[in-house]
Parts: sequence; C-alpha cells; structure tokens
Amino acid sequence: MDGIPYNESIEWVPSLDLVLDLRVDAYALVFLSVIAVAGISIFLYAARYFGSSPKVGTFAGTMTLFGGAMVGLVAADHLLATFLFWELTTITSYLLIGYSDQQESARSAALHAALVTGGGGLALLAGMVMIGTEAGTFTISTILADPPAASAAMGVAWALVLLGAVTKSAQFPFHGWLPGAMAAPTPASAYLHSATMVKAGIFLVGRLAPAALVAAEWWRPAVLGIGFATMIIGGWQALRQNDLKLLLAYGTVSQLGFLFLLLGAGDPKLLYGGLALLVAHALFKATLFMVVGTIDHEAGTRDLRRLSGLRTSLPAMFWVAVVAGASMAAFPLTFGFAAKEAAFDGLVGLGTGLIAVAAVASILTVAYTGRFLIGAFGGHHAGHEPAMPVGPSPRNALVRAPVFLAAVAVVIGLVPGVIAPVFDAGVAAAREAGTVGKLVLWPGFVPALGWSMFSLAVGAVLVWRSSLVGRATDLVGLVSQRLPSAEGSFRRAVAGLLSFADRSSGLIQSGSLPRYIAIILLVAIALPATALFRGGVPVGSLAVGGLLEAILGLLIVAAAITLLFTTRRFAAILLLGGVGYGVAALFAVYGGPDLSLTQLLVETLVVALFALVLRHLPASFTPPRFERTMRILVAVGVAVFVFVGGLTTISARQAPPVSDRYLELSVPEAQGANVVNVILVDFRGLDTLGEITVLAIATLGVAALVVPVLKSRRESS
Amino acid sequence: MKRRPSPILEHGVVATAGPMLVFSLYLLLAGHNQPGGGFAGGLVAGVTVVLAWAAGGPDTVRRIVPFRSSALLGLGLIVATLTGFASLMAGGAFLESGYLERTLPLFGEVKVVSALGFDLGVYLVVVGMSLGLVRALGDEAASDGAGS
Repeated sequence: MDGIPYNESIEWVPSLDLVLDLRVDAYALVFLSVIAVAGISIFLYAARYFGSSPKVGTFAGTMTLFGGAMVGLVAADHLLATFLFWELTTITSYLLIGYSDQQESARSAALHAALVTGGGGLALLAGMVMIGTEAGTFTISTILADPPAASAAMGVAWALVLLGAVTKSAQFPFHGWLPGAMAAPTPASAYLHSATMVKAGIFLVGRLAPAALVAAEWWRPAVLGIGFATMIIGGWQALRQNDLKLLLAYGTVSQLGFLFLLLGAGDPKLLYGGLALLVAHALFKATLFMVVGTIDHEAGTRDLRRLSGLRTSLPAMFWVAVVAGASMAAFPLTFGFAAKEAAFDGLVGLGTGLIAVAAVASILTVAYTGRFLIGAFGGHHAGHEPAMPVGPSPRNALVRAPVFLAAVAVVIGLVPGVIAPVFDAGVAAAREAGTVGKLVLWPGFVPALGWSMFSLAVGAVLVWRSSLVGRATDLVGLVSQRLPSAEGSFRRAVAGLLSFADRSSGLIQSGSLPRYIAIILLVAIALPATALFRGGVPVGSLAVGGLLEAILGLLIVAAAITLLFTTRRFAAILLLGGVGYGVAALFAVYGGPDLSLTQLLVETLVVALFALVLRHLPASFTPPRFERTMRILVAVGVAVFVFVGGLTTISARQAPPVSDRYLELSVPEAQGANVVNVILVDFRGLDTLGEITVLAIATLGVAALVVPVLKSRRESS
Repeated sequence: MKRRPSPILEHGVVATAGPMLVFSLYLLLAGHNQPGGGFAGGLVAGVTVVLAWAAGGPDTVRRIVPFRSSALLGLGLIVATLTGFASLMAGGAFLESGYLERTLPLFGEVKVVSALGFDLGVYLVVVGMSLGLVRALGDEAASDGAGS
C-alpha cells in the first residue's frame, strides 16, 4: 500500500488546458487488480479458445483496447476523462458483442447494448458537466473533498449520473442488454460482461456516492431500490434459463444489483463488503464463464437439457466449477462466503427489511448455482439424450486459466487475511473511514451468519426439489409473459423512436419549398424574437437620411408593394430584382461600393437565372387561400422582427465593433486597402473557402437534379 | 422549337464579351485594394455568360468560355485550397497572406499578395457556377449534359 495514492498528470492538449489527471488510490487499486488478474487469465484462455481463427488478431486488439480503456476509467481523476474512457468501453463492447458479424442476432445484440449504454453515457456526460460546472472543477478528488451543495440542478445532475451507471451496469430496468450481449465470444463475455465493463457503473457510484449523498437525499433509497430489484429479477430469470451462458448472464445481473447497492449506498461497511464481493464475483464468474466456454468448445452445446455427465468426461472442469460455484453460492470456507458475510454484516446494521430481501436473492443464487452445476455435470452419459461427443480431456489453457482463477479464489478464501488490508485501504480511500469490516474464514455466531445459513438451507431445498422450482417458474412465467420484458420494451422504444422520427420528418421534410422557407424563417427568428420581447425594445435615435435615401427607399417600397399584387411570375421576378437594385444603390450611398457592386451583380444574375427557370413554369400564379394566408403571416412576422430587431441592435451595441480592428489590421497584416476583400480572402478566408465549396456543390446538385428531369420531359414530348 | 437568335444581339454580345471578361479580370486583380475581388469579378464573367446564352444559345456560350463548368469549379477549389496550404508550408497559418514585391518593366513596382491565388479560386468557382447553372437550366443544354 506504499505510494498510494499515486498521482500522475499528463499534458494532453496544452493549448486547450486539457490535462489527463490520473490518480490511483486503494479503491481504484481493487478494480485495477480485478482488471489485471481476470484480464491476464482470460487472454491466455482466449488464445487457446480461438486457436488459429483468422479474426483472432481483431479480437485481441479490441480486447486490449478495452482493457486499456478500463484501466483509464478507474485511474482517471477527471470527470471528462472518465467519460471518455467510459465511452471507449462502450464502443469496444459493441465491437466485441458483434464479433460474429455475419449473424444478425449478434449485430442486433451489439446495437442494443451500444444504444442502452451509449444513451446512458450521454446522460452521464450531461450530469458530469453540470456537476463540474457547479463545483468549478472537473477533478474528481477535489469534488469529493468539497462536493456541490444540494439544489434542484444538482438533483437532476446526480439523477443523470445515476442513470448512466444504471445502464452501464445492467441494472433494472435496463438489464435487458446484458443477456443479449452473450452473443459475444465467451472470453469477451467473461471479461467484459462479468468481470470488468459492467463494473464501470459500480465503480462510478462507489466513487461518487459521498458527493451524491451530500446533494441528493434520495440517492441511497434509489440505489438500494434499483439494486434489490435487479438482484431479485436477475436471480429469478437465471432460474428459468436452459442455456448455461444465459444462466450465468442473469446470475451476473443479480450479482451486479447486489454490488451496485453495496458500493452505491455510500455506507463504509457496505462498501467494505462490496469491494470484497467484487473481487469474489470477478474470480468465480470469470471462472464459470470460462468453464462454459470450455464445455461449449468441447461438447458443442451449452444447453443444460442436452448436457449430462460431463463430470466424468471433463473432471478438471467439474472441480473448478464446483469451487467457483460454491463461492458463488457463498458456501462456507470460500471467498464468496467471507465476502458475503462482510456485506450481510453491513446490511444487518441498516435494517431487517434490507437483509431479508438480500437473503431472498441469496436463496435464488444458491438455486441457480445448483441448476448450473447439476445441469452441466450431473447425471450419466446414458441420459435420455445421447452423450455429447466429448473428446479427450483438454490439457491446455482452456483448463489452466479457470484453474488458476479458482485457485486464487481458494487461497484468498481460506486465508482472507492476506487480502483484507486491501479492502480496508480501499474503503479508507473512498470514504475516509477507519477499519469498518472484517473478512474472516469463520465470522462466529453473528446475525449475518444466521441469514447466510438460512438462505443456503432454503436454496439447497430448492435445488433438491428442483421440479418444484421448475413448476413455480413456469407458473410465474405465465404471468410475467404478459408483463413487459426488458428486451421487449427496448424493442418497442426503438420502434417508437423510429416511427416518431418518420412522422416528424414527414411533417417537416414535406418536399414543399414554401413550407421549407417558412420553417427556416420562423426558426431563425424564434429565439432572437423571444429575447427581444423579454428584454424590452430599446429603440435608439435614428440617423435621418438625406433626400437621396428617401427617394431610394420610396422606390424600394413601391417595388415591394407592387410585387405583392402581381400574379405574373416574370413581373414578380423583375420587381424583386428592382428591390435588390434599390438596396444596392442604398449601399453605394452609404459608402459600401464593394457590397453595392456585388449586390448589383448578384441581382442581375439571379433575375437572369430565374428567367431561365420560369420558362418551365406557368406564367401566372395564385396560391390557395390558406397557403396565401400562412405566407402573409410568416412574411409579416419576419418583416416586423427584422424591422424591430434592426432598430434595437443599432442602439444596443455595447462592445466596440469588430470592424474597427479589421480596418486597423487590413494593410499591415494583409497588404490590402480594401478591407471587405481582405476579410473575405484573409481574415475570414476559411469561411470563404467553405462558401465556394457550397457554391460548387450546389451547382453540381442543380445540374444533377434538373438535367435528367428536362431530358425525360423532352423525350416524353 | 428552334429559336431564332437575333444576329445583331448575338454579334453585339460577342463583341462586348471580350471587354467584359477583361473587366472581370481587372476586378479580380484590383480587388485587394479597390472595390472588386474574386467574387465580383466572377459575377461579371457570369453575367457575360448569361448574356451570351440569351443572345446566341449554348454555341455562343462555348465560343466565349470554352470550358466545362465542372472543370472550372474543381480548378477553383483546388487553387483556393492550395493557396491555403502554401501559406501553411511557408510557416504561416492556413490561408495567411504573404506577399512578394518586384519591380517589373512597364508596370513599375508590383506587389503580389498570396491572397490573389485564393481570390482566383473564388473567381473560377463563381464563373463555373454561372456556367453550370446556365447550361443546366437552359433547355437546349439538356441533351448534352450540364458539364459539357
């Protein structure tokens, strides 16, 4: 524990003041060791699992990227850096779930996971920005030392952070993506969806809980509620699965619920148990996933209705699974037991209701563990199904990696004292509390032990009378089929979103040019007009023009009014050009020869081009009455806004005009006396480059749209 | 429907087209210090193109500006972008101006600003646009495509 916390600061983008702050304290170290130990064994395992598959390089690269992102996530001491790594795990997870990219099911599962965790990531980002802005810093350690006080805005921010963590850690009601993610190759499932990525949300709530509790008193009840709901639902669903991997997936959902509430509740004692359980869970769940992978690899199926008697054909796997399963069910003498005791010890102190719910979840855990072990390894070769073609017992990494993890679990289970100081330090780092929990082989006769034994016993009965459980799950299944499932709700939500997008774009993108123009104009004036009304209308004194301006103004107004009453298209275009010429003349009078020249030329060109188009249209036009009314309303609205806005902006200026600086710099910086041109080609040159690109694209677009139409019209006539 | 161009108008336009194009180039070159610039210059050339089309149709346009509009558009964008990169290569920012001062016979002291290259790009794009639009929207051009 020396050299902890370890700080490192890396200049990232100095010009933007972006610094990559890393801080590894004991709390982060617990997660780091899980990432490292599980990672190493799973990489070794994966090397054998894939053999010489051509995509093994892609897989290894993505997994490494993921591992690095995970390390960055737990080590980052900056909210936005955390978010960056958070999203990186989402992306790599998407790639890994969709590894079998030829299968539609894998792709849709990957999309499901990415949409749920990515959407949660957006909520997280919003929450983090709010918190960081309120706290005046994005450095996590500083925020934890001096968290922002409670306010309505902080309530929203913490709710958003919670939402991000809930989606990432597959908590109810967003747990649906995790079982789907089992489409990933087993090594990826073992690493991402049991040991690491899903724990990102748990890491975050554990890290930020002290600050969240300061700002939101609903935080603890919410975390407890979500965690318990997830525990029960996950455990129950695990009992109904026949696919070993899905069974483990739902078991993971259940365990994640437990970890979520232990770390997120913000209680030092719960955190202690939570950290221990986190390590225990990573060890036994990664082991069990690898066992399933080996079974799948060797027997060709994961369906526990078809598997039987693997005990004799895969003895090593059997014993590894028994050890890991015992740890999962919290059987005494295992590390899972020691960890769960520590957790229960904390829950007992918080109330009988809480520990009772946790006990129910434990009963379910024992039951699905039994289902897993007996389903995979129990029975004899001569079952009602033919024996699976199991080859000679594999003697390689497919066995060694799970054996290694199981051995680690056994050692720290039998001698919990070797690892207990890590959790002490972890709690101390995250909560600034002293020694709060104990991690022992045998806790003595305390209330927590009673609850453990009770759940073990009831769970054992459920395993023994498994037909009862089967009937009960079928019965509840009949009811719950009518309830919305997580997967179904997600599909409906996506379908609803798509149809909403369809309808709204059908409404807005109607293909009618007048409607497009109306929408653009209304949107353009909506916000500034609101600001104008709210801020009052300070109309300043107007510079009164001379006779020349008056004459030009009258000409413009006359042309515009005549335009309103004409029904001939060509006349309308000419009058519009007249308005433009008038404005160009006004520019010239006010001393803008460049502007005036350009305006004059543009008007000329536009009238000529319009004339070309008009040859294809009826000579006169009268829009329908309703359309006409709408257009008048839009036009009057825009006109009033522009008029009032113009008057206001003239008098509302507070900062010196930017043109002063341009005038000053034009000759020395750009060797040009014509400041308008210098702005175009130098000061705002990049804008001009964008504009001429748009011109070129628009020209090509017109050619592409118009030429075929005219061609087909000519051919048909 | 074959239209009958007025020979007087056509000859008049062809005769004035040259001076107009020269004027457009003058606007382009003078633009940095006096009213004008690539945009205005390009528009003058564009108006010339429209006039030529109105007077004599696509053949007259081809006589005056014997280029494909897409070639002008592409060349303009390339010239403008390369100018930007040239400033970058010379150690400045993208599109930052540099200048060269030489004494030429006949012209005397001449100062060439790198922004002129950029303005030339703008000019070419605007001419290309006018040409492209006239050819696309002019009925007769429909048979031989926009860019030809």
